[in-house]
Amino acid sequence: MNFYRIISIILALLCLALTSAGAQQTDSSAVADSILLLQLQRSMQPAAATPTIQQAQAAPRSTLSTNPDLSAIGDFRSSYISVGKRKLDVYLNELEFQVSSVVDPYARAEFLFSYGKDLLTGELAPDLEIATLTSLSLPYQLQLTLGKFKPTFGKINILHPHAFSFVDFPKLTENYFSPEGMFMEGASASWLVPNPCDFFQELSLEVGRIEQNASLVRGENSQLAFVAHLKNFFDLTQNSTLELGFSGANGPNQSGFSSTIGGVDLTYKWKPVQYNTLQSFTWQSEFLFSNMRSDEETVTKTHGIYSLVEYQLGQRWFVGARYDYSQYPDDGGRRDIAGAALLRFQPTEFQILALEYQYTDRNYDRSSQGIIFRIIFGIGSHAAHQY
Amino acid sequence: MMNKRVTLLLLLLLFCLLSSSSTLAQLKVVTTMTDLQSITSMIGGDKVDVFAIATGFQNPHFVDPKPSYIMKLSRADVFVTVGLDLEIGWVLPLLNSARNSKIQKGGDGYVDASINVPLLQVPTSASRAQGDIHIYGNPHYWLDPLNGKVIARNIFDALVRADPDRRSFYEANLMKFNETIDAKAREWTEKLRPYSGTKIIAYHNEWPYFEQRFGLQIVDFLEPKPGIPPTPSQLFKVINEMKRDHIKIIIISPYFTAESADMVARNAGGKVVTLATSVGANEQIKTYYDLFDYNVSQLFEALR
Repeated sequence: MNFYRIISIILALLCLALTSAGAQQTDSSAVADSILLLQLQRSMQPAAATPTIQQAQAAPRSTLSTNPDLSAIGDFRSSYISVGKRKLDVYLNELEFQVSSVVDPYARAEFLFSYGKDLLTGELAPDLEIATLTSLSLPYQLQLTLGKFKPTFGKINILHPHAFSFVDFPKLTENYFSPEGMFMEGASASWLVPNPCDFFQELSLEVGRIEQNASLVRGENSQLAFVAHLKNFFDLTQNSTLELGFSGANGPNQSGFSSTIGGVDLTYKWKPVQYNTLQSFTWQSEFLFSNMRSDEETVTKTHGIYSLVEYQLGQRWFVGARYDYSQYPDDGGRRDIAGAALLRFQPTEFQILALEYQYTDRNYDRSSQGIIFRIIFGIGSHAAHQY
Repeated sequence: MMNKRVTLLLLLLLFCLLSSSSTLAQLKVVTTMTDLQSITSMIGGDKVDVFAIATGFQNPHFVDPKPSYIMKLSRADVFVTVGLDLEIGWVLPLLNSARNSKIQKGGDGYVDASINVPLLQVPTSASRAQGDIHIYGNPHYWLDPLNGKVIARNIFDALVRADPDRRSFYEANLMKFNETIDAKAREWTEKLRPYSGTKIIAYHNEWPYFEQRFGLQIVDFLEPKPGIPPTPSQLFKVINEMKRDHIKIIIISPYFTAESADMVARNAGGKVVTLATSVGANEQIKTYYDLFDYNVSQLFEALR
């Protein structure tokens, strides 16, 4: 019994010591006092006491600004598609204006306005795609985003089309959501999950109203939509990484009932660190399944998948290929099977030219093939995209 | 028997706790580059645990912002960046996701190592038609060893802000670093003094601070504009320039392929010298001092 008491006392003392050490490290007021003291001490010290630097005086910097980062991105296309009224077409597909900045020490904001081609009329129509306020300093490894955003469902949905290597999103995204994916107005909370293996694991939970798409709608009553995503990221070697994600979404659909969608994404990337601007390889796949309830008794169960590879031939040249299989959320009898081959030339990071060949086999309509040329051009300080 | 097992288990627990307590006492520092990591280690000694995001043989303009770095940043007490927009393409997405207010710009743990560095090539007007220019000035300032002292001072200030009790320890290390770098800088400049004014060609515009410190004269680049890969017309121009002015040396960095430099050297009768841009560029370069030991000796061998 005594033995246990002694050990308990030792452990308690140890915990006390650790707690006080931790407090010493993190007590911000103590740190602030110490900094003040240091500043006073420094101002009282003779100039010779500070280490001398045998350099010219630093030049004054006059580039300070509180203006937000501004950027504009154009997406111009020319295409030939074997079916449809406008087989040969030339058009400005989209123009995006982005404004982002830190709001204060606690948050940053981002706004993205677009003029995109309306699929029905072919005319450019304005849209507010993103308007978010994101926290920078919540405790417990949490981050909160409020506003309108692209919910974290899979790998593709969080991207804007100009950031995707292929000219169009996979059929799975188009058939289950929209040609640009899914948008939500609401709140998103994400948490860096502590784990013993210390790999990156992030859990995102989102709630709000979904902008109408093929699977989910805004809803007439109080029923909100929910999206969840668990991202797991592993550094396999210095040059290669693996990402495995699980997604889920539930919300009202156009029949007045609800739809549930699940997804799995897997991405392998290889990029030799030393020559990372010259060579790279990506293999990315997503699988999605949907249960759409259209009345008390009918649930339509459908699924879709895509898999793509991209290889960088040199500093400016990339080639890629993609396979798509996708049903439609409201009709399991309809399906698309598509393939795409891509050639991309990237003179700088602000200009990207791509040529894509597409073939789509439809079991409910005529099959089609086409060639699309796209040029993306950006000006201003558009921030880097997530890895 | 049972008691022995319990004792062993508790001893193991104690060991784990004690070892984690010594880790707790260390400041966690994340730097963007290995040069900043090396200087931080010299100032912080065993009181800091430093992780560098980019490797020493990687182009620092283009580093992938892998989520695994977010884990390191989320726990960091201090974050040290080269600044001047060198890391503009990858630091912002990492900091935005780090969920750590200490190391955000303006926080006590955020260190822009370029503060007080006398900058070179600060443009009076900026346009991307000039290639990848840096509007605040050329950001490769750590390649002048005496700028290492400014960097060290900036890091020292941040370590003291985060851990004021160890001020004297950090200060002693700072003084030692300054004395060593002063002494070594004299040796390095003396070694290259006979070759002062020598004209050389570089692949990319990343050597102005090195050039100024060691009295070299970089007259042209294989890249026609910063960040734009060498073009045949630019290479032809450089070959003619080398022949006309009897230029014998082309310097390149570890992350550029040597084909175009080799071709120019063959045609112009010169030689290609790969210099290290950062600590860890190869196995010989383990510290900030080694970086200049290596580069100066490589150049000395090539020039004599």
